Amino acid sequence: MQDYCSVSELLTCFLARDLNDGEELQVGVALPIPEAAVRLAHLMHGPNMELIFLGARMNVHHLERVPMPAFGWDRRVVRWAESYSDRGHRFDQVKDWHRRVFFIGGLQVDPFGNTNLIGIGRDPRHLQFRGPGSVGTPTLTTHVGRYYIVLNSHSPRIFVPKCDFVSSVGWDCGGADARRRLGLPGGGPKYCVTPLCIMDFSEDEKRLRLRSLHPGVTLDQVLRQTGFPLIVPAQVPTTELPSATELAVLRERVDWVGALR
Amino acid sequence: MNSGARSERLREEAEALALLADGMTVAIGEPAPMAMVRHIIRRGLRSLTVIASGLSLDMLIAAGCVRKVISYYAGGGFGVAVAPSFRRAVERGEVEVWECEEGILTSGLEAAGKGLPFLPWRGGVGTSLPELNPDLKVISDPICGETLLAVPAITPHVALLHAASSDVYGNVQHCGGPGWLDLFLARAAERTFVQVEKIIPNEEVRANPWATTLARADVVLRMPYGAHPFYSRGHYVQDSAALKDYVAAASAAAERDEPAALERYLARYCREPASHVDYLERIGIKRLLSLHEY
Repeated sequence: MQDYCSVSELLTCFLARDLNDGEELQVGVALPIPEAAVRLAHLMHGPNMELIFLGARMNVHHLERVPMPAFGWDRRVVRWAESYSDRGHRFDQVKDWHRRVFFIGGLQVDPFGNTNLIGIGRDPRHLQFRGPGSVGTPTLTTHVGRYYIVLNSHSPRIFVPKCDFVSSVGWDCGGADARRRLGLPGGGPKYCVTPLCIMDFSEDEKRLRLRSLHPGVTLDQVLRQTGFPLIVPAQVPTTELPSATELAVLRERVDWVGALR
Repeated sequence: MNSGARSERLREEAEALALLADGMTVAIGEPAPMAMVRHIIRRGLRSLTVIASGLSLDMLIAAGCVRKVISYYAGGGFGVAVAPSFRRAVERGEVEVWECEEGILTSGLEAAGKGLPFLPWRGGVGTSLPELNPDLKVISDPICGETLLAVPAITPHVALLHAASSDVYGNVQHCGGPGWLDLFLARAAERTFVQVEKIIPNEEVRANPWATTLARADVVLRMPYGAHPFYSRGHYVQDSAALKDYVAAASAAAERDEPAALERYLARYCREPASHVDYLERIGIKRLLSLHEY
């Protein structure tokens, strides 16, 4: 596969295909794959998508190339924005966030898609690793229509039976009504994507289930790198490769500097 | 004949900031008012509770000014996922974290501004935040019986903000709107200090009062380039090279126990310059002017 595309490009195209025209796509900091995926989807099939980066809301479908600016709040980031909600009112209309799609990373992920950005360790006063903090992810994952868990690596350190701390609730203790029982209006995590595979959540238990393996990755490899039993269907397909058109648009109009190569 | 004269709120750095003292709760706006942040480091203030995020927070921790952090995010950027001094200090238990997230912090500030003991918020229900932060109470709301978090009012002693301009009476104007939480911080805080790129005449404010984004700042400080190495909308962009230097120095101290570069940075840019203008001289006119364009 490496001859054809990188695994980051594969994930970018997978996510882009899953985004629908008309949706609001919000991407936070330090997530280059979703940053590229929302741009690619916008150019490929989403003329009515709205991209939201920090406070900047933009529709840039008319642009020949959609650059990936460094994050920040200065004018370089907001030069294409149509509005800018940094007046502290970003959380004043969460009732409408069912239209919104979001992406998160995590230091840890458990079998029900609960995630941790707080830290690793038992004693919160003496963590082995202090994470960056929850940012706005608890509120976003509570309310958005759906979200994607996007990870840069796949190992038993990340996929743990139980997160040391939970900053975003996925499917809590499991079950299709888990979120409703907590009163969380948003639709929860849809997919969890890693450099090895794509996972979704089983309909009844809402437990992580293997959906496809990336080209060249074995089932055994994924099971070894996951710190808990994964649901494995009888047939596990290979993750679909990007089309030549998708790759061309991605490389020529989104990521021409090759950050994802 | 009118009596008396209207009091101006424009102050010199040393006079204005003499009010800042050890142990205070200090809120830092966006972009960070770095001239005032560097002043705090130069003064060597201790045991502050700081409401901030990102690298300004990291610098205050590196300089030993902070006892407690109220922060939703301490990312580093420039190749590090977590602000290095923050990470080290929290892992060692030297700095306490009032664990929260953006919606929770906003609710606590709003409660303070509205004079309420708390405001409810949903984001964080089902997470570890109420266990990590016992000030957040899980409640059953009295109207519908839903499970929510009660977020106590957060009242900073002082909010330190950066803006484009102000008149001498504290009528502050932002270029392109106030920073992310700035108005929440101002409404919640007991006092608000705003450093600005330039002082404008009161007549200019009156000519277009809609442009005033924050009225009644308690103190105004004239600090051109005062947000450097961060941006100031309408004036200059972020000095990424300077921030990279800081992150490299802070990472060496936090991860490899090599504090020399960080100490050099803090001495050269925070402790040695006697004033903000001295700091700007160290940065140099060429570098500052290069930030005008992109």
